[in-house]
Amino acid sequence: MSTQKNPNDGNVFLIDMTKCTGCRGCQVACKQWNQLEAEKTEFFSGEGYQNPPAMSDKTFTRIKFRDYQKNGQNEFAFYKEMCMHCNEPACASVCPVGAFHKTEEGPVIYNADRCIGCRFCMIACPFGVPKYEWSKAFPLVKKCTGCYSRIKAGMKPACATACPTAISYGPRHEMIKEAERRLTMYPDRYLKTVYGKEEAGGTSVMYLTALPFDELGFKKVTLRPLPGYTWQALRLVPSVFLTVGGGLSALSWINHRKERLSRLRDEEAENTETKEDK
Amino acid sequence: MTAARYVINEIKGYHRFIKFLIFLVVASALASLVRFVFGLGATTNLNDTYPWGLWISFDVVTAVPLAAGAFTLGAIVHCFHIKKLEPLVRPAIVTGFLGYSLVCVGLLLDLGQPQRGWHVLRYWNLHSPMFEVSMCVMAYTTVLFLEFLSPVCEKFGFYLPLRVLRWLEMPLVIAAAAISTLHQSSLGTFFLIAVDKLHNLWYTPVLPLLFWMSAICAGLSIIILEATASHKWMGQPNEGVLLKTLAKILPWALGAYLCVRIGSLVFLSQGPYFDSPALLILFAIEVGIGFVLPLIMLMQSRIRNSDSRRATAAGLVVFGLVLNRFNVSMFGMMHGDKIYFPSFIESVVTIGIIAAHVLFFVLLAKYFPIFEHHPETVDYSLPDRFQKVGAVGARH
Repeated sequence: MSTQKNPNDGNVFLIDMTKCTGCRGCQVACKQWNQLEAEKTEFFSGEGYQNPPAMSDKTFTRIKFRDYQKNGQNEFAFYKEMCMHCNEPACASVCPVGAFHKTEEGPVIYNADRCIGCRFCMIACPFGVPKYEWSKAFPLVKKCTGCYSRIKAGMKPACATACPTAISYGPRHEMIKEAERRLTMYPDRYLKTVYGKEEAGGTSVMYLTALPFDELGFKKVTLRPLPGYTWQALRLVPSVFLTVGGGLSALSWINHRKERLSRLRDEEAENTETKEDK
Repeated sequence: MTAARYVINEIKGYHRFIKFLIFLVVASALASLVRFVFGLGATTNLNDTYPWGLWISFDVVTAVPLAAGAFTLGAIVHCFHIKKLEPLVRPAIVTGFLGYSLVCVGLLLDLGQPQRGWHVLRYWNLHSPMFEVSMCVMAYTTVLFLEFLSPVCEKFGFYLPLRVLRWLEMPLVIAAAAISTLHQSSLGTFFLIAVDKLHNLWYTPVLPLLFWMSAICAGLSIIILEATASHKWMGQPNEGVLLKTLAKILPWALGAYLCVRIGSLVFLSQGPYFDSPALLILFAIEVGIGFVLPLIMLMQSRIRNSDSRRATAAGLVVFGLVLNRFNVSMFGMMHGDKIYFPSFIESVVTIGIIAAHVLFFVLLAKYFPIFEHHPETVDYSLPDRFQKVGAVGARH
């Protein structure tokens, strides 16, 4: 699970959707750096201008488009979809072989050599991020790596490097300060929250937007770290095992003893009867 | 005459129904080969929105509680010491062993990397309910295999292993109950992580407890159904008197389950219950027909005493359990207009797994002393040639 001491030291993405121009440079940079295959897509196949229609094993990040009206004018709002790199990731907690872990640097990374392909991470992720190689006979899970290899080499993630306007990348506490500074400097421009500051117990991707989050396609998620939901039951496992095992052992010992004693009594009674008969 | 011809002749003598089951199993084996050649995407209707489908919902999440009869009955007979029910134990163990073996088969088909299944043993993650269930299922399948060895040893006259197994009987029964409690409940823990995905009608923090309690209800019901069926169709002795006792225990289990279920709905509610009519109907059918109705039925001695009505009530409980597991793992997780429906190959494989269960049960009962088992008639003493070894191990 998490190897990180203080989640506020890890690096995070601060994505200011009001500054996004929808150029999709991040999408291209991600494909290039991760050597991901292209997908054959059609325009307007899904909800609008966004392409491809969903994230997949070949697309780790994607810009979603949403048109809306502002002062009688048609406007676009954007939303960058990617792994949120949670501080306490659900995927890492449910994986039976511990194939995911949260690194000290910030990204949640996936160890493909361990994965058995059970897809529990896909069920658990509140943001629907891990994707599966459905076209393969022996598929693995794919997701945004947070460009861990680049970070190790002292670089910024590919999408953050390519983005001309919207993505800042740095330590979490600094990025939170920066987000709050923007919220106070331009109160008219933003919705008064930082998505990702507390969602799912805090994530390493945080958003500033002008439109309500649900209208942009942000998922409404719990503020409590997800691993706690299963751990509150799982932590009882040893005591349940001992209680049931011990209880049943004691019960059967008592019952067997009772049976043995009554058998002895019967035998004794028989013995005395036979003696009396003599 | 070669062995192959002997086998063919033996199969030719089987009932038509058995031949049909063999056909289903072979079809399902072929269908599962298709999965390994063309991949999960091509053969199933699974996708990134619905990564778990019929194979998880039925072959794992439903099949495990349906095989709960073995540990429930083992505990009732040996720990609570209701010895007269002992003749029912062995068929229940065979059902359990077959059930768990087929769970493993279903799981291996569903895994993306089945050849790495053993990784669970190497890379432990104590925080994962899946890790917990995998370890327990492996341990419990081993326990069931050991318990299942008794009739095999009796059949072939392996006296020494038989004595060892008899000596292990109580530890195995207790291990079975403890391990089963853990993984039956941990299957419910799986869905605790689906916080904003599973509908409120089923999402509750006590889901693990509910899964365990309903598994006990289903285990008892399966024993009733199975004993009634093997009396009716396999010419086995009528165990009606014993089943009446079980039918007396069952309403208590059902009542306790319903209390916790309703209590959790009333006191632990997290959100709206009435926002989806389709799910509400499923919920009503599940709880009403699957749990409340059989509870009312089994509270009447008239129904408990009638073989067919008792079996009907037990059948309703099994129906309720199956629907409950599907509601939790499949229907309750569906949102909006995107719907999952199992593909042809997924269905053929699952039908084949059910058929394999029935087939192997019938064949085992045909060739091994499963039903004729009355422990007081089994001679556990060693033949003369074992006297020297026997003297060391003699306890009784």
